[in-house]
Amino acid sequence: MSSATTDRQSSGLGFVGQRVKRVEDERFLVGEGKFIADLNHEGMLHAAFARSPFAHAKINSIDVAAASRLPGVVKVFTGAELNAVTNPFIPFFTVGGLYTPLYSCMSDDRVRHIGDPVALVVAESRYIAEDALELIEVDYEDLEAIGSIDAALKPGRTQLWEKADGNVLGEFTDTFGDVDEAFNQADRVITKTFDCPRQSNQPMETRGIAVVVDPTTGHLDIHSTSQAPHFKKWAIAAMLVKDSTAASLAKFARNSERRSAFLAAAKDFVAANKEKMAQQDNSGMVSQLKKDPSTMLHQLRMGAGLLAADDYPTVMAADIGGAFGSKGPVAREDVAVAAAASELGRSVQWIEDRVENLLDGGQAREERFTMSVAVDNDGMLKGLRVDAVLDQGAYTGFPVAPALIALLWKVYFPGPYNLDAFEITSKIVTTNKGRVVPYRGPWANETWARERMLDLVAAELGLTPVEIRSRNVMREGVSMPDAFITGPTIDETMSVAKTFDRALEMIDFDQLKRDKADAEGRGHRLGLGIASYHEAAPGPPNFFSSVQPGTDLFVYEDGRAEIGTDGTIRMFTSQSPHGQSHQTTYKQVAADEFGVKMEDVEIVWGDTDRTQFSFLGTGGSRGGPMGGGVMRMTARELRQQVEKVAADMLEASVDDIDIIDGNIHVAGVPSRGISYADVAGKVAADRNITDEPAFMEAMKYEGVGNGGWSVATHVAWVDIDLETGEVEIPRYLVVEDCGPIINPGVVDGQVRGGVAQGIGAVFYERTHYDDNANLMSTTYMDYLVPTAMEIPNIEIEHMETLTEGENDARGTGEGGMIGAPAALTNAVSDALGVQVTEQYLPPYRLLELAGVIEPEK
Amino acid sequence: MKNPPFHYHRPATLDEALALLAEFGDDGKILAGGQSLLPVMALRLGPPAHVIDIGTLEELKSIEVSDTAVTIGAMVRHAEAEHSAEVAEYTPLVAAALPHVGHRAIRNRGTVVGSIAHADSAAEMPAVCLATSATMHLASAEGTRNVAAPDFFQGFFTTAIEPNEILTGVSFPAWGPTTSGTVVEVSRRHGDYAMCGVACALDVADNVINGAALAFFSVASTPVRIAEAENVLLGQAPSEATYQAAADVVTDTLEPEGDIHATAAYRLHLAGVLTRRGLAEAHDRIGVPA
Ligand SMILES: Cc1cc2nc3c(=O)[nH]c(=O)nc-3n(C[C@H](O)[C@H](O)[C@H](O)COP(=O)(O)OP(=O)(O)OC[C@H]3O[C@@H](n4cnc5c(N)ncnc54)[C@H](O)[C@@H]3O)c2cc1C
Repeated sequence: MSSATTDRQSSGLGFVGQRVKRVEDERFLVGEGKFIADLNHEGMLHAAFARSPFAHAKINSIDVAAASRLPGVVKVFTGAELNAVTNPFIPFFTVGGLYTPLYSCMSDDRVRHIGDPVALVVAESRYIAEDALELIEVDYEDLEAIGSIDAALKPGRTQLWEKADGNVLGEFTDTFGDVDEAFNQADRVITKTFDCPRQSNQPMETRGIAVVVDPTTGHLDIHSTSQAPHFKKWAIAAMLVKDSTAASLAKFARNSERRSAFLAAAKDFVAANKEKMAQQDNSGMVSQLKKDPSTMLHQLRMGAGLLAADDYPTVMAADIGGAFGSKGPVAREDVAVAAAASELGRSVQWIEDRVENLLDGGQAREERFTMSVAVDNDGMLKGLRVDAVLDQGAYTGFPVAPALIALLWKVYFPGPYNLDAFEITSKIVTTNKGRVVPYRGPWANETWARERMLDLVAAELGLTPVEIRSRNVMREGVSMPDAFITGPTIDETMSVAKTFDRALEMIDFDQLKRDKADAEGRGHRLGLGIASYHEAAPGPPNFFSSVQPGTDLFVYEDGRAEIGTDGTIRMFTSQSPHGQSHQTTYKQVAADEFGVKMEDVEIVWGDTDRTQFSFLGTGGSRGGPMGGGVMRMTARELRQQVEKVAADMLEASVDDIDIIDGNIHVAGVPSRGISYADVAGKVAADRNITDEPAFMEAMKYEGVGNGGWSVATHVAWVDIDLETGEVEIPRYLVVEDCGPIINPGVVDGQVRGGVAQGIGAVFYERTHYDDNANLMSTTYMDYLVPTAMEIPNIEIEHMETLTEGENDARGTGEGGMIGAPAALTNAVSDALGVQVTEQYLPPYRLLELAGVIEPEK
Repeated sequence: MKNPPFHYHRPATLDEALALLAEFGDDGKILAGGQSLLPVMALRLGPPAHVIDIGTLEELKSIEVSDTAVTIGAMVRHAEAEHSAEVAEYTPLVAAALPHVGHRAIRNRGTVVGSIAHADSAAEMPAVCLATSATMHLASAEGTRNVAAPDFFQGFFTTAIEPNEILTGVSFPAWGPTTSGTVVEVSRRHGDYAMCGVACALDVADNVINGAALAFFSVASTPVRIAEAENVLLGQAPSEATYQAAADVVTDTLEPEGDIHATAAYRLHLAGVLTRRGLAEAHDRIGVPA
């Protein structure tokens, strides 16, 4: 048994591991949630964007006079006006061989996708603002649009970005092991290309920002649907910097207090991170500057401006109705609305509507992979070559560029299977489409392509999908290396084989045979698909440096906690919950550490004035292991401080202090206990403090162990009506291992939601651009999110591999979506007896694949 | 996605409503359940200047049954018709269609007649009107007139309703015990508009088909009834082979177009499959109390 389990039991009520009801639900279910549109600040103005109806066009002129005259309109900003008072988006994340075109918050001379913002109306209501949009006259001159990966790869087509080489923004190759040798030695090489069309993150709540301007100080309180409020704060602050670099530096130099504080902080940072900084790969910046040296000038101006600024915006994220990655980035609208409010000196809000959300709220996964597998006739995998292309759309997502997805492919692609050698070349192309953002397991298509390819290779070799996986999967004690060929270390948490074996036990293969025959009798086809994956959640210490040296600078988690003079326990998190039940699981963790009830712990999140800094906020399945981990460690420290004072008060030794249900007492003598309020009160009285906490603790946390892998095997049963192409999923099984579970109900919910999105990806959801980059799916009539009616019961089997380390919980937010498309398309392939190489399979496509109808030309 | 300004009118009587329509002509629009009109307005797709809400007109709220017909008034909600015993008994095809119309929440507000007036080519009710040879009752300040279903549906969202007219009700012929029907369709998700569907009816006595109706939706700009396929059925014994013969005529006749959800070939294929399935189901329902 792990030490975490023993601790939990001895320390109080034992909430961790229980299927505790979510503390968020009551508020939400009675309509008391505070989402961005609920804030209703007095005097708030409302913004609406004029957006391009063209996929690619020059703007010859724009006339906002009539719109400006409409009663109730406060101001119409043209793109040029807002661009003049803001700094451009510059790449935060660079890779050797990548060029990231700079862009402004608005478009002023050219539009590059349907929905590209060209003007911003600020009015007394959103209704009036939209009335004004109809009065704006823009003279567009149509340009050739790039609507597909094929078009983007073709030389000689119209370029989206002048400084790019055609429409390819970057190409990078990474090689692990001796690839030529592996391919020369292997019995066969099997090659296939896989295509995934575009999808969109679809949170129930769209994006939104409400900028409240303090009329006297000009301070901006920015309410935002943000997964990463701290990053948004600094990004917006930087993009609103107006002074020249020289002016800012001069101002900074004059402020000696600020100067010395900054220098000291910088020195500390360098001292603490010397090693990581030395590893940092600067080739990306070099590639960028070669193409666009102005990047540096903008960087300097923003950097100097931040140093000199007297005030920074506060960003606040309250309740958020989902994001799935789309609310991590800072969007152009964020900057435009903040600039508009700041220029007007009046509060302005923009609530994205669903059409806008489908146009540019965040899109994902339009990718192509050509995979070559070197394999022996017995099914043993030797080598893998991947040629990948990612369609990033027009404007590069910020700060998480799609290139990061390619770097994650580089680390993940071989999956939980042993290989001698691996090489991947990734191209990032730009097209006249919406912005690519991270979407729940942003790299997930490596699992889809690989698991599909495994079935295909098995079929060529006369093996079953089970056989090829059994022969190659890493098995503890048998074939488990110490590290992946791509770098990251491995420990017992890489337990894919365990989940795979358990899944096989739970499949009745004889019954499957009978069910298949029965389906055929009904004119249907039934198939079974298996897929496994592993995810760094949070991964080993060298995970991020394997992705890109230096990125590990940004992935720690800070913790902070305090106990007020009245005994209130407050835990601060830099996570930004948006549906993951952080408030519940963190209360479970902290309550156990403190030996109190969950309601005795207050969780503080989302407000950059109150919470500690984090680049990432919520993302990457880190809420449990990192956010929860630091919560546990800080609580533990704080409890020790409390125990010390309590021991004095109770005239006992610290070692004898026990806390059960908030009763701090000498072990065995609960009747003579004292409370947290008593202890805090004593401290307050002794130190004569009233408005500061009695106890405080802050710490930095970098995770534990050499693994941190979260893994699963998914099994899908798919039944296809061969006459109509309609699909049923009679059974869906997930065998997952995310280590010791904090709350099984929450983990189940995460897994189910992810699988539902995977079902959506394969059978329902498509962001459908035509060849001319016209968006065809602009409402929920055409972008089909599956409902409860389309989602089957999802069976979940938990395997909790424990390590010796504490804080052993591993993330589970993304996994459902990583495994599902692979299992489902494998099942479809099995059902139809064809090797499916595309991810989106609407009914008509299934019948085409089955040979029932002719494919569309 | 916010509607532009408009004038809202809530007449107290049908005559008042008709007077308003006479005044505003093309600038006026009837608001029934709002389930199609309001989204169209929010998307600013040709929004009306005047909205005339007929929601409070008691004279439009009833389902009337006579010896020959069931007449559904303009303000009868989908849900009410769906759960009406009279509708189920005398015009079972209407009852069969309604569960396919959107979701329960939409059927609680949307109206049967509104759906017919709206004339979405993918909607169920217009096809049911064709299959049952329903009669449309129109009123204007100048008087009333009736229009037969085949003359009523004229194109995409286009009907015989003049700008000054209200569709006050629709009469569906009452069926005898030898007749029944069903609606079968394939949609992407539960509650979506169909990619292809058919409203079909059979009159069978002594194992001979004496009457047949096949009206397809989501295959053209209006619902389409295919007499040639119906004729193939007449005088035959109901059987899979007979149904298939009709289905073959259907797939030879229709020329549907493709969209992002269904290719033309897929739609055509579905029309054949659904003909067969629909006829078999319609036959099974004859004599079975609803
Ligand atoms: C999510 C969703 C899914 C849906 N799915 C389906 C579906 O699967 N199948 C389907 O058939 N429908 C579907 N609908 C549409 C729904 O059935 C509508 O309720 C119906 O089409 C219109 O009825 P209504 O009473 O709401 O009409 P309204 O929206 O009030 O009006 C629609 C149009 O008809 C006109 N109109 C209405 N009544 C009259 C009248 N008495 N005289 C003259 N003109 C009139 C209006 O002026 C307007 O132009 C769906 C709607 C939604 C929102």
